Amino acid sequence: MADPIRVLIVDDEERFRETLAKLLGRHGFVVREAGSGPAALELLGQAPCDVIVLDVKMPGMTGADALPLLRAACPEAEVLVLTGHASVDIASTMIAGGAADYLLKPCPTEELEGAIRAVYDRRQATRPR
Amino acid sequence: MNPEPTPDAPGPLPGDHAPPLWPHTLLAPGLAGAAVLSALAAPPLVGVGLALFAGAICIGSALTLARRVRRGERELHELDVRLLHSQKLAAIGELSSGIAHEINNPLAIITQEIDLARELFGQDACPAPEDLADIKDCLDQVGKQVARCCQITHKLLNFARKMEPVLQEEALEQVIEDMAVLVEREAAGRGVAIRRDYDQSLPPVRTDVPLLRQVILNLLTNAMHATPEGGTITLATCRQNGRAVIEVRDTGCGIPPENLPKVFDPFFTTKEPGKGTGLGLSLSHGIVARLGGNLTAQSAVGKGSVFTVSLPL
Amino acid sequence: MGLRVLAVDDEADFIETLVKRFTYRQIPVTAAGNGPDALALLERESFDVVILDMRMPGMDGLAVLQEIKKRHPLVEVIILTGHASVESGMQGMSLGAYDYVLKPVDFGELLEKAKKAYERKKLNESRADA
Ligand SMILES: Nc1ncnc2c1ncn2[C@@H]1O[C@H](COP(=O)(O)OP(=O)(O)OP(=O)(O)O)[C@@H](O)[C@H]1O
Ligand SMILES: [Mg+2]
Repeated sequence: MADPIRVLIVDDEERFRETLAKLLGRHGFVVREAGSGPAALELLGQAPCDVIVLDVKMPGMTGADALPLLRAACPEAEVLVLTGHASVDIASTMIAGGAADYLLKPCPTEELEGAIRAVYDRRQATRPR
Repeated sequence: MNPEPTPDAPGPLPGDHAPPLWPHTLLAPGLAGAAVLSALAAPPLVGVGLALFAGAICIGSALTLARRVRRGERELHELDVRLLHSQKLAAIGELSSGIAHEINNPLAIITQEIDLARELFGQDACPAPEDLADIKDCLDQVGKQVARCCQITHKLLNFARKMEPVLQEEALEQVIEDMAVLVEREAAGRGVAIRRDYDQSLPPVRTDVPLLRQVILNLLTNAMHATPEGGTITLATCRQNGRAVIEVRDTGCGIPPENLPKVFDPFFTTKEPGKGTGLGLSLSHGIVARLGGNLTAQSAVGKGSVFTVSLPL
Repeated sequence: MGLRVLAVDDEADFIETLVKRFTYRQIPVTAAGNGPDALALLERESFDVVILDMRMPGMDGLAVLQEIKKRHPLVEVIILTGHASVESGMQGMSLGAYDYVLKPVDFGELLEKAKKAYERKKLNESRADA
């Protein structure tokens, strides 16, 4: 068996984080959660991860502000943006800023999981350990 | 102003291809003058003929002018409508992206809770006894998030409601007190005192009383949420430059200068997700404007905020 | 024609007193013990002002208010509540309530508000006719 995929969820919506963590945990991911950009940076300082699921609209530091900092703190992680913000502009800014993919909330768990795996596999293919 | 014709524009805009006005404007008085002169000099028959001819030209040019004025007005009106339309579209765009975001978040939670509940139910629809509490928790959460969506749509409907103000005379103090009693108990529970500082000599206002009550309740609620234990909210009225002024002051957290211009924007909130919709102040701002007044905010971080409603007397 | 009141509360004693007090002042008043009854009465007869208790078993006050405003937008509603709550106050006002009155009710105050609410309804009607 391959190593489990380590996911970090960054979202200010507490219940969303909790249930997503529960679901992903049940499906074999190793999950940590952060309610804000700074909290995520702190967690990344403790241990790296493979995929960061990042919200855009958060009070204080927005997802767009957090993106470069998170990438600097953990260069090997891929960032998957997941947000209720249906704006093409934001999507393209985030992708240009180095995010691997952009998904719109609400998104069925299956779809999100598929996206996490796809992003992870792509990283493994381009950056073999 | 140089408007670009939009694709759905009905016909061309007023342009320079309309024939010039001068033939009519010069010809008509010219001929009329000639007719008068020739009527004096020439035999009567020629004079009458010329006068008739000049009259016809005058009527013709008057009709042309009238037609052009009318067309000009219509085109101007169409322009206005188009301009308004494009402004409306921009506003709708802004609002709908806000709504999408605010509704998508609870929907995302609902989606996940359903996914989790389905999974806990298992393939054979026979959940393990220890999972039952979790399933119930999922369902409860779905209910909560639906309520959250409803709250947003209710508040939005308020914008939609045709709120033609119905003006009634009422003492401002009374309108404020009606709402203060609703807040007082909760404020006391939080250790926040409500003080009054009413100008007793203020004459009654003529305003839409229930609409104004909504504004005051919104301001009071915000003040209460912003004020920590031991703080004070002050409700004050006074007369300023011939207007009635209501102030809701608090000794709360204050608003950072970069947020101050945004507080009246729909969906702007610093409250936790699900706690605030960010519609309270934008709704209040809209109401006060419709009542012929204005709503402004002043704030100092760490000191407190003052929201001021000024109304015509 | 003067003010006609519909009072809605599940507390029989309270509503009885209320009916008496309006009747002493020659203001026609009808009582309903719950939301659905009140809505049925509004379909059959015309009223100007509904005095509506917030907390009732079955259909609660807010739901009744919403229904009244949907079917009879000009009827004004004054909400009675035992526990002053900001949240329900906010909802009630944004659903179009005229005002809130806290229980225990000061009848003089309630009467004053009912009259004001009636005045508003008349103003609204005269505008609708114009
Ligand atoms: N008295 C106040 N003191 C400090 N900040 C305030 C005050 N009033 C408003 N604000 C700020 O303005 C924001 C917008 O207020 P608004 O009333 O529009 O929305 P809200 O209170 O967040 O949500 P709701 O729609 O439930 O009212 C608040 O989130 C808060 O950051
Ligand atoms: Mg508010």
